[in-house]
Amino acid sequence: MILSFKDFSFIQGLKAALLTGLFATAGCRISPSATDFSTAESSDCITDYAPNTDYFPNKIQPQYAAGFSVDYHNHYKVVTVTQPWQGANESFKYLLVQCGTPIPEGFEDAQVIQVPVDTVVTLSTTYLPHLDRLDQVDALLGMDNFSFVYSPNIRTKIEQGKLIEFSSGRTLDIERLLISSPDLIMAYGTGDPDADSYGRLIQAGLPVVLLGDYVENSPLGRAEWLTFTALFFNQEAMAQQVFTEISTEYESLVELTDTLSDRPTVFSGFSYEGTWYMPGGKSYAAQLLQDAGSAYLWANNDSTVTIPLDFESVFDQAATADVWINVSQDWLNYGDAIATDPRYGEFAAFKQDKIFNNNARMNDTGGNDYWESGAVNPHLILADLVKIFYPELLPEHELIYYQQLEP
Amino acid sequence: MANKIYPLKPRSTKAPIISYINKLSLQKLKPLSTNYLTGLTLLSITLLITFLASLALGSVAIPLTEVLNILLGGTATKPAWQEIILNFRLPRSLTAMTAGSALAISGLQLQALFRNPLAGPSVLGINAGASLGAALIVLTVGSGGLWGQLNVVGAASLGAAIAMLLVLLIARQVRSSLALLIFGLMLGYVTTALVTILLHFSRLEQTLAYLNWTFGSFSGVTWQQMPILLSVVSIGLLTSQLTCKPLNLLLLGEQQAISLGLSITAVRCYLIVSASLLAGSITAFCGPIAFLGVAVPHLGRSLFRTQDHRILVPVVALLGAMLALVANSIAQVPGSQTILPLNAVMALLGAPVIIWLMLKRSNH
Repeated sequence: MILSFKDFSFIQGLKAALLTGLFATAGCRISPSATDFSTAESSDCITDYAPNTDYFPNKIQPQYAAGFSVDYHNHYKVVTVTQPWQGANESFKYLLVQCGTPIPEGFEDAQVIQVPVDTVVTLSTTYLPHLDRLDQVDALLGMDNFSFVYSPNIRTKIEQGKLIEFSSGRTLDIERLLISSPDLIMAYGTGDPDADSYGRLIQAGLPVVLLGDYVENSPLGRAEWLTFTALFFNQEAMAQQVFTEISTEYESLVELTDTLSDRPTVFSGFSYEGTWYMPGGKSYAAQLLQDAGSAYLWANNDSTVTIPLDFESVFDQAATADVWINVSQDWLNYGDAIATDPRYGEFAAFKQDKIFNNNARMNDTGGNDYWESGAVNPHLILADLVKIFYPELLPEHELIYYQQLEP
Repeated sequence: MANKIYPLKPRSTKAPIISYINKLSLQKLKPLSTNYLTGLTLLSITLLITFLASLALGSVAIPLTEVLNILLGGTATKPAWQEIILNFRLPRSLTAMTAGSALAISGLQLQALFRNPLAGPSVLGINAGASLGAALIVLTVGSGGLWGQLNVVGAASLGAAIAMLLVLLIARQVRSSLALLIFGLMLGYVTTALVTILLHFSRLEQTLAYLNWTFGSFSGVTWQQMPILLSVVSIGLLTSQLTCKPLNLLLLGEQQAISLGLSITAVRCYLIVSASLLAGSITAFCGPIAFLGVAVPHLGRSLFRTQDHRILVPVVALLGAMLALVANSIAQVPGSQTILPLNAVMALLGAPVIIWLMLKRSNH
């Protein structure tokens, strides 16, 4: 009994740790600025509230993102996150009230946030590029962990001690958050109450908002969540402009490859102890491959998440595939792959030097820009992929996030 | 001879092998009779069939004629099939057989040593030692790099060896096996705690890699690693055959065994080394596969109705190999592309069988 209980609780602990998904790091420090944060009213606050004035002249509605909606009223916006996590059957409502105007009645169940917010804490690196593109990096008080931050701009701030790290290891320090009292905490949920931290944050009275960007199955849908972030800064106009550029660029690349018929076959990932995690045929990754004009070998699969496959079935389907992408970040060259498992060498893509990895922009601390700025740059990721599959279509383009595995 | 035969009534049962073995046990009392050898032969034939079936079953449907053709050195109609049979399924099935018998024997030895039916390869803290070694590699430097997968295997072996040395040191100090058992458990808790701290500070991708390692898998061993695994396990299995007599004496209780001239400390150390070699090497290559070591000795005792280790050692080795092959084939979910965690399949498949056998035995 003792043995089995021990094993059980160990696996449970691992599962919880995995599901929490909070990236980890060693060490933490609190910058001096943490305590002298000023609670002064924002200069954007309204001092002469007029009920009939429309305080949000610039309005946006998501076009690609399926996970949120927004209703505009004169002095407040009602934002609903309908897909906070995969297969969620509850939604979250946020009442964004213009600072200096009264809080409307009838939204007792919604989290109230005064906008525009002045200070923000992010609990995932994918939100950092939102702030960057919206010119709001100065509002950033800190994030969960420093080690996975890539953005050189934010890294400089970290080195200068201007930011606070709110997690140590996988544990979020709520006391540190309470002291900093940010206007907004950008977080995500997984649907597992044991792993999710947002419940504790809400109980502590902290203004936490869940972003469902990672649930979106289209690359543009994910990127469009930057307009969601913009709602909290009243930066709709800028968000619209930024996102239109992204989507226009993306759509023009799709047009470029849309009519191509002789498509190169492609597969993705690598084997963890015999289990190969392949992106589902309806997933974000599959959509990118399809839009890049390639023939993804698991395109007919119905899953929107990764599917665990047997190595041999991957080999059966992909042995002769033209291109192999997104291999282990530990592989720097072909020798690393062979050392891990010599059977990798039997793939045609391996023999023909057609392995491309998305780790071209990684820093010493393990931050990979593909998972950071890539979130708002689906057009650049797509351009990389088009370049990989059809070098002649984009002769000018240099690979940004991708690089060919070294010999 | 410390041989205990359970009293039996003749009865019919749906499982033909069990009724056959029931009959065997009824007919004779001398353990090493020809009937026992018949049972062993039957088991070996079943194992061979299971082995061939495991080569034919997999995620990719390959016709049986093609499988035989490839095994006999022919050329397959599809080149990928040849690769799958020879470089994926053959090493996997061999690993499964090796791992199954090694873990089962290790469990058998430890159950006799501690005279505790719950003992298995995990009680000595050997699994935990191997896990810590693997975790250090997977969670810090990553499983790629210069040394690749062998790094993990090497670190896990080293972890298991250190745990084994610690247990050996204690075994020479303390007289009671119970104290040794508790020491092994404590060692397990300490290493588990260290792994948890490592996990706490690791990246999601590393955590996933480690988690997958704990799921257990026979697919990771390649032909390059096979000679190492096979030679270590062969040594362990051969020595296990030599420990049969002391094991039988241990069943009488330590005091009795000593009065019969057995050097408990020497036997203890010998068994710990043998069991650690078997369990440690398998854990290093395949991850912690706990269930087989605990369960298969019970299965062997129930099927052959004996406590005689001269019979049990070969029987348990064969049964362990067979159960590992069956569990492995089920984990591949033949006909589908997906795959299930081996440890989960092993327990889901094995636990009901063991419970059923226990209930059946307690009825007599």
